Amino acid sequence: MSAPLLEVRDLIVRFGGITALDHVSIDVAPGEIVGLLGPNGAGKTTLFNVISGFQKPDEGRITLRGRDIQHLLPYERVAAGLGRTFQHVRLFANLTVRENLLVAQHRHLSSGSLSAMLRLRAWRRDEEEALARAERMLDLIDLRAWEAAYPQALSYGTTRFLELASVLSLNPKVLLLDEPASGIQQKEVEALGPMLRRIRDDTGCSIVLIEHDMSLLLSLSDRVYALDFGRVIAEGSPAEITQDPQVLSSYLGRTRRAHASA
Amino acid sequence: MTEHAVEVAQPLELPAVVRRRLTSAELAGLAGLGAIALLPIPFGSFGFFVGQYALIYAILGLSVVVVTGYAGLVSLMTYSFAGIGAMVTGVAMASWGWPFWLALPLAAAATIPVSIIVGVTAVRLKGLYLAIATLTFADALGETFFKYGRVTGGQSGWIVHRPSPFRSDASYYVLLLAVAMALVWMVTGLRSSRVGRAMLAVRTNEREAQALGINVYKTKLTAFLISGVLGGIGGAFLALLLTSVTRSAFQSPLVEATSILLVTVVVVGGIDRALGAFLGAVALVVQQQVFQGARFFFAYFGIYSAALLVLFLLYRPGGLMQVARLQWRLIRARPRVGIAAAAAIIGLNVGLAWLFVRLS
Amino acid sequence: MIAAHPVIQVTAFGLSSGATFGLLALGLVLIYRTTGAMNFSHWAIGLLAVIAYLFLANEGVPVVLAMLLALALSPIAGIAAYRLVFRKIPRANQVVTILITIGIAQLYASLAAMVLGFKQFTRLPPWLPQGKVSFVGTQLNTTDVVTIALAVGIAAGFLAWFRFTRTGRALRAVAQNREAAMLAGIDDVRSSTIAWGIGSALAALALLLVLPHVAGKQGGLITTFDITPFGTLLIPAFGAALVGGLVNLPMALAGGFAFGLVRELLVLAPKPWSDLRAVAAALLILLLLVLRTERFFVTAQEREALEA
Repeated sequence: MSAPLLEVRDLIVRFGGITALDHVSIDVAPGEIVGLLGPNGAGKTTLFNVISGFQKPDEGRITLRGRDIQHLLPYERVAAGLGRTFQHVRLFANLTVRENLLVAQHRHLSSGSLSAMLRLRAWRRDEEEALARAERMLDLIDLRAWEAAYPQALSYGTTRFLELASVLSLNPKVLLLDEPASGIQQKEVEALGPMLRRIRDDTGCSIVLIEHDMSLLLSLSDRVYALDFGRVIAEGSPAEITQDPQVLSSYLGRTRRAHASA
Repeated sequence: MTEHAVEVAQPLELPAVVRRRLTSAELAGLAGLGAIALLPIPFGSFGFFVGQYALIYAILGLSVVVVTGYAGLVSLMTYSFAGIGAMVTGVAMASWGWPFWLALPLAAAATIPVSIIVGVTAVRLKGLYLAIATLTFADALGETFFKYGRVTGGQSGWIVHRPSPFRSDASYYVLLLAVAMALVWMVTGLRSSRVGRAMLAVRTNEREAQALGINVYKTKLTAFLISGVLGGIGGAFLALLLTSVTRSAFQSPLVEATSILLVTVVVVGGIDRALGAFLGAVALVVQQQVFQGARFFFAYFGIYSAALLVLFLLYRPGGLMQVARLQWRLIRARPRVGIAAAAAIIGLNVGLAWLFVRLS
Repeated sequence: MIAAHPVIQVTAFGLSSGATFGLLALGLVLIYRTTGAMNFSHWAIGLLAVIAYLFLANEGVPVVLAMLLALALSPIAGIAAYRLVFRKIPRANQVVTILITIGIAQLYASLAAMVLGFKQFTRLPPWLPQGKVSFVGTQLNTTDVVTIALAVGIAAGFLAWFRFTRTGRALRAVAQNREAAMLAGIDDVRSSTIAWGIGSALAALALLLVLPHVAGKQGGLITTFDITPFGTLLIPAFGAALVGGLVNLPMALAGGFAFGLVRELLVLAPKPWSDLRAVAAALLILLLLVLRTERFFVTAQEREALEA
């Protein structure tokens, strides 16, 4: 196997007397789907925040495609190949679905303000390309029927798909998905699994998935990390993880109080 | 999509415009614009003066549209940029003997160092800090650059002359009309572009814009720079309009008050629409003339324009452009009601204006 | 004016005008922390109290009574602005929030100008004791000394109230974490109303301390142009608030004194520096912005609350 695409080493995040991430290390290979398991407060979203640049760690290293991305701002990490969705869907509420996707094409265009104001050829070419890409994304994620609607007219699940489409427009090498199935209806959850697998197969990107829906997580992931109290407590294939005693106890919460007093 | 847009997010509309035909709404709009453009004619030289003033306010309004309407940054130093443009024009033409066509780009370029200094300071911080920074800079510029003779070799005023084909009222008016429309066209083009959409995205949800790979700092700085240049251009034409540029015109408190008036112009017109700057400027400059007769003009007009600002922000955040859109929809859906309503509104406005002029 | 110890006298001037900036800043920070809005109309709300005072005093009401009655007008104006206008804007909409407070500022300032009347000059009687007092061998204006003492006393009382009373703690809870506070039963609207009310009262006091001062230097007369400039009072108040990162109250007060001091002390500086008085505030603010004072005072939680 080639070198890992995304390497996170000994990440430490502390605030307010709590250690949110305690020597967390994670590897993601190209084209791999990695699942992150853990109860609420285990530090999963914090990990995403640090990897995507929205939060600074106290210690640790993050390498993407062999490059240290620690000092890059969030939008620079996008340029480096990272994409991420949020726990609470973030979209542009006063833009239609199509317009949201147009904005997402930003990375692929290059014309500047002057050529826009003078309506030069560079601008024209960019607009045609933006439109074409946005249309393609609409079809890929099956949002055609909704293209002129505003996000509040959509079901929560559809807004999640829209967010996914926006992020995919970035052509990410590593996709961080924060609870993509939360809050959406059962049949949309069932469509999500095959869609994500298809995305991975078509684009070759890696996916890191935080998910509380156990069956989705375990069926999709090639490998799983289990987190609790900011630490990686187990790592392995889905089958191995479900047998791991530490994972079982942290999830069932039986010995949680015992751990805390230990 | 309901229009009580304070609770609900105000729709923004980003067309990717490449090549298309004009809709009937747009044709009606163009006709309306043409009618407005012809308004000054029956009022002779006074009408042309008001028209020229309105067009310059429209150009300055475009500066606000880009920085506040597109990028969502509150800038209170728009009129300071105009002052820089006007003074540079004055110095270049009166002291150095330059023709206007050379003074104009210099005036525009002179705003760039200022907008870089202010922008770089505040662009990495929350929008609130930029608002504070621009207010502070407007005040500081008003107290120094525009006050001390040493900066400009001791003079406090300059006389400039319009280039010869544009000496008459009507011809200068037509020139301004052409320039204003060209700039409106350019600023509208900016909206349907990568950079423009990035600005609107940054305004709507900065975090999401970051997550989509948009360099929010560069975007904000670009908006601020463009807005400064537009302000400088407006200032240059203002110098020609007044033909005499004085430093005192850009000191406190006038400079902040006028910058706020320009914000009102744009909010009334439609804050994120280039054409809105034009509509708002026409509306407010004309109304300002109505108030001119009043004894305590600036207090009354101050109350009136402040009330307009607040009411439009609360109930019609899309400004007159939104009103026009709603009206057009009403006319299409129920023609008789729509046209009656439009006539009533116009009649009411004219009646009130006449009444006010009569009473003061 | 040449005096035996110019530094002490100028320091007194500086602290006295700084007291005004400090009180204004306290109100600004209170409103900002509790409601998430930077109130650009803060000074104008205070201005209305000055107009009320002017009206009452010129009608023959004894000055101190007039002052106390006038103080009540600002909270009314501030609360009206909050409940009728400001509440209707969703917290997240930063641009509209700022623009609306600017609109309210212009509205109230123009109202004040209108009431002040068509006359150029109006008599604004001082309510603070006049005269001189001796201090360390110099003569200081009694007005300055009383201003400083009053400001410090009221600020201390306010800070104590904010820290130790139930209402004060409720406001702090709202500032830290709105959702949690609301879940704990604290009424968001009531807290904001109280914040606007008290903040406005502080603004009123600040302006009542400074404007009769200004009038006093002009023979007791005040013009419309003394009261309408947007930036003159607001900018140093912002600067003072910035010293505390826009959230720290004691630092805002200290910042106010600092701004006043710097401004006045520059008069004693050698020639090129003393001309910079007018831009001193601007440069200081630039410095504070570059330093990003916010990060010293705002906790991550509070930042979330402020960004809604």
